[in-house]
Amino acid sequence: MTDSPLRRSIGWYRIPILIVAVLTCLLFYLPFLVVVATSWTGTSYIIFPPEGFSLQSYIGVLGDVEWMDAFKISLRVAGIGTVIAVLLGTLGALALTRLRSRAARRWIRTLFIVPMAIPPVAYAVGLYSVSLRATALQDNLGLLILGEALLAVPYVFVMVSSGLSQADPALRPVASTLGAGWPMIVWRVDLPMIAGHMLAGAVFAFAVIFDEVVLSVFLTPVGVKTLPLQMLTASQEELSPQLTAASTLVSMAAVLLLGGYSLFSSRRAARARRLSRKAATV
Amino acid sequence: MAVNGALAAPSAKRQRRLLADGSNVERRWLLWPPLAFFLLTVAGPVVALVHQALSGEDNAFAEALQSEVFVASVGRTLLLAVVVTAATVLVGTIYALAIAVGPVWVKALLMGGLLISLWTSVMVRTIGWMLLELPTGAIFWLLNKLQLRSSPIEIYQTTAAMYPAMIAVMLPFAVLPILAAVLAFDREQLRAATIFGAGPLLTLGAVVLPTIRQAMISGGVLVFVMSMGFYVTPMLLGGPGNMTVSGIINAQLNTANRADVGAAMSLLLVGGTVAIYLVADRLFKVSERWG
Repeated sequence: MTDSPLRRSIGWYRIPILIVAVLTCLLFYLPFLVVVATSWTGTSYIIFPPEGFSLQSYIGVLGDVEWMDAFKISLRVAGIGTVIAVLLGTLGALALTRLRSRAARRWIRTLFIVPMAIPPVAYAVGLYSVSLRATALQDNLGLLILGEALLAVPYVFVMVSSGLSQADPALRPVASTLGAGWPMIVWRVDLPMIAGHMLAGAVFAFAVIFDEVVLSVFLTPVGVKTLPLQMLTASQEELSPQLTAASTLVSMAAVLLLGGYSLFSSRRAARARRLSRKAATV
Repeated sequence: MAVNGALAAPSAKRQRRLLADGSNVERRWLLWPPLAFFLLTVAGPVVALVHQALSGEDNAFAEALQSEVFVASVGRTLLLAVVVTAATVLVGTIYALAIAVGPVWVKALLMGGLLISLWTSVMVRTIGWMLLELPTGAIFWLLNKLQLRSSPIEIYQTTAAMYPAMIAVMLPFAVLPILAAVLAFDREQLRAATIFGAGPLLTLGAVVLPTIRQAMISGGVLVFVMSMGFYVTPMLLGGPGNMTVSGIINAQLNTANRADVGAAMSLLLVGGTVAIYLVADRLFKVSERWG
């Protein structure tokens, strides 16, 4: 184990640390377990502990036009928003490596991370006032998608930047000496190196946009709802097992998708490590 | 193929440009699209907000600052952000250390909790907390089973109800950078400390904490600015008595119908939060840890 030094030097303080941490992780598990448990109740209202076991609320959600429409809208918004965020976040990270001046690098870095600090409600109000003035942006999802993309750019930027910082800095000058122009360097040298990080950034951005609720409160056209907005409205009315069934379904989908992705990427990383070890011994 | 072509006929001027680290053309194509996008999506709303704030008859900014509800909500939100930040950094450090030193099953349990929290939507988690905290919810059921309480509990829509949920929502943002720092730092320093006879407390205080302090600050700054914009979780769990600035802004628009005051408050909130971030960034180089 790599961490026996840390374990040894912390000594018996390890026990309280572990106890506090295990108790803390209940904050993560308990709400989720309660949501899952209440979704299979046989009653038509929410009750804990659930009474009986039935999948009626799942069937109800999957057959409900409102829930399914909300799901499709969210998929579309998150899909388009992710493409924009990945494109811009990657461009920004690439541009950062090509800037010489320290001050410029610093400002660019701050600029690409600052959207994380923007309070969503205030930003949503701003976008909403834009839509009041530009009629072309009313009654469609354009502004919502642009706003969500802005909020997701920092995650892509951080992921791709960390990928670029691990890259060999000599590769670009080498390619350039061999006569490759900058578009070719980006295409053949940079992109292959950061493809994995771009994918990770895309996954993160998709999850962020798919879950984001505040912008959709202000910016969805009348009658159109994203999935989190549908959940918010449902949770402000009487809580129903349908709400927790929908929550369970979307969480399960996320866990399967993201769990599968991280399994895939850790396998790939392990294979890369094995290969490089082999290369080193040859 | 194209490489060969370029090699075969390199005009002197072209080659100079190619060899330069980051030509102007290159920088323009890489940097301008994102900058244009930022200009569009940030400056647009800001201009619209300023315009809207000035559209009323009175000075909306003065009105916002004089409104007792607003000032009280600013105080409440700041307090909330401070408490949540302090709690998440403290607990997050313990959590990250536990992942590093725990037995394998504890590690799996703790990582699993983090991932569940990261991968499920804030809405789902907030709904989970509602179900726990409702008067006859899961917490009541447990206490009742243990025969500790027979009357319904009354924490739903109180201050006590929202803090655990907000800490749980923000905790991963503190744990992740700290965990990265804990896993990355040099183990030889620990060996050296042990050899020189440092006890656990001294090692923690003089070796571990100083090395991960930068990560703790980064995580803390991120949690703080994100908490300043907290909206859904406090609204659903804290009830009308615990409205954050975001909640007040929403009320100005939808209940009070004062779009100008709402816009002024939005500008103040965005300005304040971004200013806090920029100052923290200057002081602690937060962005540099990420980018």
